[in-house]
Amino acid sequence: MTPASAAESPIVAPAGPQKPTAANRRGGRPKRRSVTRKQVWAGWLLLTPALLHSTLFISVPTLAAVFLSMTDYSFSGEWAWVGFDNFIELMSDQNFKTAFVNTVLYAIVVVPISMGLALVIALGLNQKLRGMAFFRTAFYIPTVTATVAVATVWLWIYNPGAGLANGALSFFGFGPQPFLNSPDTALPSLMLVGIWQGLGAKMIIYLAALQGVSRELVEAAELDGANRWQTFKHVKWPALAPAQFFVLITSIVGTFQVYDLVYVMTRGGPGISTNVLVLDIYNNAFQGMRLGYASAETVIMILLISVFIIVGRKLQGSDKSE
Amino acid sequence: MKKNSLKVMAMSVGLGLALAACGSASAPSTSTDDPATATGSLRVMIPTYPLSNEGKAEFQKVVDDFNKTYPKMTIEPDFVTYDTMNEKISTSIASGSGYDVLVTGIGWIQPFAAKKVFKDLADVGISKADISTKTADAMVPAVTHDEKVYGYPLIADARAVAFRKSAFIEAGLDPEKPPASMAELKEAAEKLTKRDASGAITRPGFDFWAASGAYRQTFTTFLASTGTPLFVDGKPNFNNADGVETLEWMKGMINNVQTFGQMNSAKKPLVYTNEAPIGMVGGAVDCSDQGIGQANCDDLSFFLLDNGTKAEFVGGDIASIGAKTKNAKAAWTFIESLIKPEANNAQAKLNSKIPATKDTAKTGQAQSNPLSKFVAANLSHAAYEGGASNWLEVRKSFNSGLDEALLGKRPAEEVLSSLAALSK
Repeated sequence: MTPASAAESPIVAPAGPQKPTAANRRGGRPKRRSVTRKQVWAGWLLLTPALLHSTLFISVPTLAAVFLSMTDYSFSGEWAWVGFDNFIELMSDQNFKTAFVNTVLYAIVVVPISMGLALVIALGLNQKLRGMAFFRTAFYIPTVTATVAVATVWLWIYNPGAGLANGALSFFGFGPQPFLNSPDTALPSLMLVGIWQGLGAKMIIYLAALQGVSRELVEAAELDGANRWQTFKHVKWPALAPAQFFVLITSIVGTFQVYDLVYVMTRGGPGISTNVLVLDIYNNAFQGMRLGYASAETVIMILLISVFIIVGRKLQGSDKSE
Repeated sequence: MKKNSLKVMAMSVGLGLALAACGSASAPSTSTDDPATATGSLRVMIPTYPLSNEGKAEFQKVVDDFNKTYPKMTIEPDFVTYDTMNEKISTSIASGSGYDVLVTGIGWIQPFAAKKVFKDLADVGISKADISTKTADAMVPAVTHDEKVYGYPLIADARAVAFRKSAFIEAGLDPEKPPASMAELKEAAEKLTKRDASGAITRPGFDFWAASGAYRQTFTTFLASTGTPLFVDGKPNFNNADGVETLEWMKGMINNVQTFGQMNSAKKPLVYTNEAPIGMVGGAVDCSDQGIGQANCDDLSFFLLDNGTKAEFVGGDIASIGAKTKNAKAAWTFIESLIKPEANNAQAKLNSKIPATKDTAKTGQAQSNPLSKFVAANLSHAAYEGGASNWLEVRKSFNSGLDEALLGKRPAEEVLSSLAALSK
């Protein structure tokens, strides 16, 4: 253990027999242990805000959602216990079924494509070239721009009559596309915006991780005759594993929670072709005023996200074992 | 150590719950029977006044008028939009700090009356006869539920069909004989539609003035023109031959005379700017230079759809009293300030609507422009949506269902049957 690492890990009391200290010899409690207990208390004290936050804004609402999902509460003050009736009704609700499929499709398409593109861009931006700061900023701008503003601009781009997208297509000799006005093209059009908007955040994490890759390891690989692909595959890619895991989990959660983009651009239409789970939950809760029913949908969404995260962790685990 | 951890966690949870309990307490609203000494505040949710300087100034006039009777009471306005209205109402109910006065729209009354969110106006001495005497007849059914009155109409959002006389002359159509039936309208629209060499529509022959997911009100209007209202006594009345025929007709128009969901960037009727020769329009048009200009106005003429029955779609703003208010009398006094002619006319002007009064045709707003004059004169042909006690829930399904039928994804009959099954 280097001196630096020893200094960084004093919280946990070291295991195994302790050397006798002056305090021990005087028959008092070991001083070191006393310090450790104080540190434990300090740790809990520092954790308290986070615990409070988690309790108030995560645990209590989650438990409330589970409870409400078994009621017919509709803001009227009167409610009844309905058991699993809401869940049974959801199974035959075409809006929910479409929202479920669309959300999964959205996640399956947007997460891997945006992760792949973000990694490629990060690799490109991890070079020492002139004007790199400009490109890094340019790729990050969509992330810091409000989704409503992004959606409004894309609404204009996708306008079938006077939009930029059809203008560009006609320049290359293609006919006009309905984009958001057709059930066949609306969801893919939204996915494209989702991919574009999410690139910056993922890219910056990959870029930070790439810059943390040990220079010595890269140089060693190069000295051993590894080409750029081999260096990436055997040195950089394994080093990116923690970043990959973080990006994967946040991307899955983010795509499952897609709402504002859909709300502003299509409201779930045409028909229900772009209905997604959070929008459907919102519609049931605040437009249809059925909070119990919407809570049942929320519970299903929580389970769905959990499944995706578990699958993601398993995949990450298999990467590590390799 | 485990014991200590549990202690800390228990303390944290306890503190959290205590904080939560503090946070849920609502501000008290006090009052007495005597208006002159009554204190406290009145929470008002209202979409009628836009958050512009003009809107705020007009609202302040209403508050000033109210304060003449209740000088010590304050008004807490919540200027909402129709998009956020249900969230505001539901969260206010859930938090236990409901509004004293709620201004909602046609279609809201029955569902919220059924949920006991609105107070029966008989409690403040208002009967159905009072409403019938003072407001447009067309608005009376929209504010009643189970023969009780739950709202007072403020302004009417009446809509007509407009056409460009010059476009008619150019296409060899008689501007003195505008189409009225669905068949005539389709024939004229097809004749007036312009296309490029590839067949793509460059100018729609008819403008539905509806984005994707917003064809519900147009369907209601066309259906009513066949003599078939959307609901009768709260029961669905659209899953029949007239409903299917109307929806099929609309489907025949979509992507034939106008692409689905086409709107301009300002979301204004295309007929105003000569982007379409015929189309649906709202209840007022600004003929000044700040609006569409006098030349455009002079080129416009208006008519109602008539497939046996003339139909003019009417929405509107309706003032209700919250069922749990402790200041019902003050709330009613505030509504009285809202319905005074000057305030009422200002509301109509701010929203491009017309006052919902019995004498609406004589009001300043109705006389100020040709479209308001037309819709005010025809208010007796009103067709409105809603009626089912779960209309707010059905409404969103209506939007998506109609889209699916219009785009050929589901048969019209199947869509209307499923919507009828949803309606309670």
